[in-house]
Amino acid sequence: MYGIIAFFRRHYFAVLFVALEFFCLYFIFLGRAPGKDGRENYYQQARFVNSANSVAGSVYKTYSDITSYFNLKTVNERLAEENMQLHNDLASINDTVKRPKVPHANPYGEQFNFIAAAVIDNSTNQASNYLTLDIGKKQGIGEGMGVISPSGVVGVVISVSDHYSVVMSILHKNYQLSAMLKKGGTFGTITWKGDDYRFATLSQIPMSETVLVGDSIISSGYSTIYPKGISIGVVEKVEPIPTQYFYTIKVRLSTNFKKLRYVYVVSDLMRQERTELEDNAIKATSGK
Amino acid sequence: MINELGKNIARFFVFLFIQVLILKHIDLSRFINPFLYVIFLLMLPIRTDKALVLFIAFFTGLTIDMFYNTMGVNAAACVFMAYCRPRVLRFYAPKGEYDSSAKPTIQSMGLPWVISYVSTMVFLHHFVLFFLEAFSFSSFFTTLAIIIVSGITTVGLIVLSQLIMQRRRI
Repeated sequence: MYGIIAFFRRHYFAVLFVALEFFCLYFIFLGRAPGKDGRENYYQQARFVNSANSVAGSVYKTYSDITSYFNLKTVNERLAEENMQLHNDLASINDTVKRPKVPHANPYGEQFNFIAAAVIDNSTNQASNYLTLDIGKKQGIGEGMGVISPSGVVGVVISVSDHYSVVMSILHKNYQLSAMLKKGGTFGTITWKGDDYRFATLSQIPMSETVLVGDSIISSGYSTIYPKGISIGVVEKVEPIPTQYFYTIKVRLSTNFKKLRYVYVVSDLMRQERTELEDNAIKATSGK
Repeated sequence: MINELGKNIARFFVFLFIQVLILKHIDLSRFINPFLYVIFLLMLPIRTDKALVLFIAFFTGLTIDMFYNTMGVNAAACVFMAYCRPRVLRFYAPKGEYDSSAKPTIQSMGLPWVISYVSTMVFLHHFVLFFLEAFSFSSFFTTLAIIIVSGITTVGLIVLSQLIMQRRRI
């Protein structure tokens, strides 16, 4: 007994060091542990050490309130441009498809709901980049919802508090996004190598496909995170890997992550229904 | 004494805000990623109790993690740096030990001492930080390059900040 006390007295500094490092590593692993469906994580449980908490959230909000005045002009221009685009889209939809009139209809029918949000913090120079948005649970935001900008895919909500939410950007070394070639419809996976915020990598496209520089890449709609057909980017460079019969495709992202000010959070109203159905199907076929 | 404590608290907030509001958003390149906030830990009085420094480092790191969404990576790096601090101080100790009033500043210890102390500590910090963040040794040389370039930038910024603070006597 005295031996133990003597040991702690002698080595209290080292013991303290190990204990604190243990806490740190615990937080780190908590942030990286894969969730039940393989892509989400337990990030939410450690909310007090991410920027969804009210301290960091309100600091970023105040700062963004001040600095946002300096880029009002560009923001306005971009909104006007987007309005024009939406007007055009709406006009062409009315021409071609006769959908039954529904209140608050959007181009995706009633399946997806779009909530506008301001980006109050953002980074592009880390190996794992996140955005902080000025809306949270109170505005209907939940984990696992997709985030898009007027120009394309941005990321997925991974943590929410009452008034703020943290988004894992596609500029994140652990992010995998199901994508497809607009022409031909072949599926692949978008990942980010962590080097350049303008480019991502599209893999798993078989070499039997013809892929040309300039081809559009869009979201596949296979996950419940994004609607199908949201722009991801265009093909910048195609490199075949002969041993694997697959291409590695460099994609120029359509979203400029450095200039993100406003985004839309996409909530899939049928998400629960779909995941339940898929889970049941898996259970039924696995023999239980 | 109170004055010294006040100065340290002020330094904590000033460099925290500089770090998360300004430096986090200057992206010249992925290789230049300075973490100036460690200056707060480096400027704690030399005689500060080593266990206390360990705790201060832990909470400083966690605060930065909160803003960076890095989940304990900065805390781990700061705690490691604080653990090495007594050894580093002993290694660079002048002949006849430190004065009881010695501060790790240019005024008190001179520029060469500050540069060697600061760069040793900063590289210890950055080494843990960037390797934990990469979480693998797969891109070893890229990570090493990031550590070296960011480390040099951090040391430069710290020395510059010390020079500015010295002039304004804060």
